[in-house]
Amino acid sequence: MKFLSFFFQVACIGLLIIACNNTSIPPEISTTSNNNCVQNYNPNTDYLPAKATIKYATGFSVEYQNNYKVVTVKNPWKDAKTSFKYVLVECGTPAPEGFKESEIITLPVNTVASLSTTHLPHLAKLEVVDKLVGVSNHKTVNTSEVIEKIKAGKVAELGNNVNVERLLELNPDLVTTYGTGNPQTDSHSKLLETGLKVAINAEYMENTPLGRAEWLKFTSTFFNKEDIAEQEFSEISRKYQEIAAKTKAIKKRPKVFTGFNFKGTWYVPGCKSYAAQYLADAGAELLCSENSSGSTPSSFEDVFERAATADYWLNVSQSWQSLKDVITADSRYGDFQAVKKGNVYNNNARLNESGGNDYWEGGISNPDVILTDLIKIFHPELLPNHQLFFYQKLN
Amino acid sequence: MSNTKYKYFFKKNLNENRFKFITSVILISSLIIIFLLDLAFGSVQIPIQQVITILFGGESEKATWTTIILKFRLPKALTATLAGAALGVSGLEMQTLFKNPLAGPFVLGISSGASLGVALIVLATNTTGVGLWLIKLGIIGDLSLVIAACLGAALVLGMVLLISHRVPDSMTLLILGLLFGYATSAIVSILLHFSENNQIQSYLQWTFGSFGGVTWRQMVILAPVILLGLIMALLLSKPLNVMLLGESQAQTLGLAVQQTRFWIIASASILAGAITAFCGPIGFLGVVVPHLCRNLFKTVNHKILIPIVAVMGAILALIADLVSQLPGSETVLPLNSVTALIGTPVVIWVILHRRSRFS
Repeated sequence: MKFLSFFFQVACIGLLIIACNNTSIPPEISTTSNNNCVQNYNPNTDYLPAKATIKYATGFSVEYQNNYKVVTVKNPWKDAKTSFKYVLVECGTPAPEGFKESEIITLPVNTVASLSTTHLPHLAKLEVVDKLVGVSNHKTVNTSEVIEKIKAGKVAELGNNVNVERLLELNPDLVTTYGTGNPQTDSHSKLLETGLKVAINAEYMENTPLGRAEWLKFTSTFFNKEDIAEQEFSEISRKYQEIAAKTKAIKKRPKVFTGFNFKGTWYVPGCKSYAAQYLADAGAELLCSENSSGSTPSSFEDVFERAATADYWLNVSQSWQSLKDVITADSRYGDFQAVKKGNVYNNNARLNESGGNDYWEGGISNPDVILTDLIKIFHPELLPNHQLFFYQKLN
Repeated sequence: MSNTKYKYFFKKNLNENRFKFITSVILISSLIIIFLLDLAFGSVQIPIQQVITILFGGESEKATWTTIILKFRLPKALTATLAGAALGVSGLEMQTLFKNPLAGPFVLGISSGASLGVALIVLATNTTGVGLWLIKLGIIGDLSLVIAACLGAALVLGMVLLISHRVPDSMTLLILGLLFGYATSAIVSILLHFSENNQIQSYLQWTFGSFGGVTWRQMVILAPVILLGLIMALLLSKPLNVMLLGESQAQTLGLAVQQTRFWIIASASILAGAITAFCGPIGFLGVVVPHLCRNLFKTVNHKILIPIVAVMGAILALIADLVSQLPGSETVLPLNSVTALIGTPVVIWVILHRRSRFS
């Protein structure tokens, strides 16, 4: 009994000391293994001269202070009730107060694990692939710089359901991932519990191709590479706008439908989705569901009624490589005008051996190339010299 | 309980004949009406006169309507009819065999076997290469899922049939079936664990169940198989009646129990396996339709029950399909949720209603 009360007292005192310390210690100075940290901190110096300005993306924002920046992910997944804040503090300078420990990340990040292939082209564009230490699946990667590093055995494979122990062993400065709002499959909360710094990239929530591509700037903030991101992205958006301008005057807009039937359900994209934006910019009209940015499960007969006479059919099942594949999948597809005319185009021209599709990797970062492909498909006279890159015609 | 009812039935044989006639007229006409309703209503609105014109081979105002009725709705309605009948009869056979009101077409692990086959195709394409190998065969195309599901179901069925020869009582068989189910779902979970999101989505879509995936080319295979299974069930109606008395009683009455059990399982599994392969695991109907019919028509005689269950199953399946298409809207609901949502209240009502009258 005596023993117990002694323990209790010691524990109480210990707790008090910890509590006192928490309130009294001066703001912690951020440090990493990197030696290039700020040595003599001066509150009036702007340590973050490279700044990003967001033009198209609506899902995140960046605010700059002298020695730190606050990156906010406003809409991490569909109908999200929470937003995420990342306080990126220049190494060697004090972290601002009023933020949670888990939100504070020291700049620049020196090692990163990316749990989605869509983040890999960003690393390549920002020339920081050397900092990549882990991806979820080696086989589905299409970004050539990353493939080289994987072949050299310098990138760990973490699995589609993240192997937390492997990740902890790697102990990267940053883990980039995405959320779907489903706690069963989302890994970020589990990773945050372990004390790792996790950044949620929600580019897939953007409803415009350029908005999605602009998330390059989001990634750049973690590496202080905003200058490269600004330069790369302004080039992409310039090319995109330039080529989109060519179709503005076109009156005759072909009708297009996308997707395919699986066991009676056909997902039709919304008219406010990024897919609809692509087609509008490419001078075509997409069969879509009104007032929706996500996709609607529709019946096969409904799509048939609306698309039977449409001119083109795009983005079909990834396993279809020829028109014969289309007909064997379901003979009823043969009743579409687009199939009869042979106007079926699939976005699987750049599929790797394991089925990883570059359209969903490099394509998201290079919307100008996808748009060029689309215009080549619908209005070949505008781009006589372009060769399809992400798309192929099914014969 | 069943014993006394059986005697009761023989006493009332004369009334029974009239009753039989009336119910069959009512049931068959409702089946036809609901079949036609299923053809007439769907996501796309087509005027009734146009539907009739198209069905009698006439020209419709819009060419797409002809395609929709003849290539989409007609095979879908036929599939629903066959599926409802097959699952109902299969469930009835299993309930009688295992003398267990909770038994259904899938108690012996047939749907788990089928789902394993499908999971191998849909989920494991990049890890095992099985799916790619099947796709490369080319000829299979849309049938690859069906064939995989068939193989999976046949594997489980084969094991159950083999064991049924060795195990003396049905209860052991039931437990073994459950265990097979657990083992196969464990493998499916492992495959799911290693799969990409879009593959998981495809697999889930399959588990939702659908009558809409069957084209005429597949109907040529599905319909004869189901008819074969139904005829087998009808031929088994007499032994099934004897089985109601219990296995030992049936044996003393001169029934070759072991052999009968084999054929009952074979017929029920062919029905359930084929439907699962083509439509996905359609739940609920198989368990509920036999109860509904026994309660509504107050008979346990399989000679009457089997046809009634088949027709009733078809009617319920068609209603479920009709509702899942949400006529007039462009969207669809998962079939399995609809069968359970509209079926549950009906059955609860029937069971409670009957209880109160008997108490």
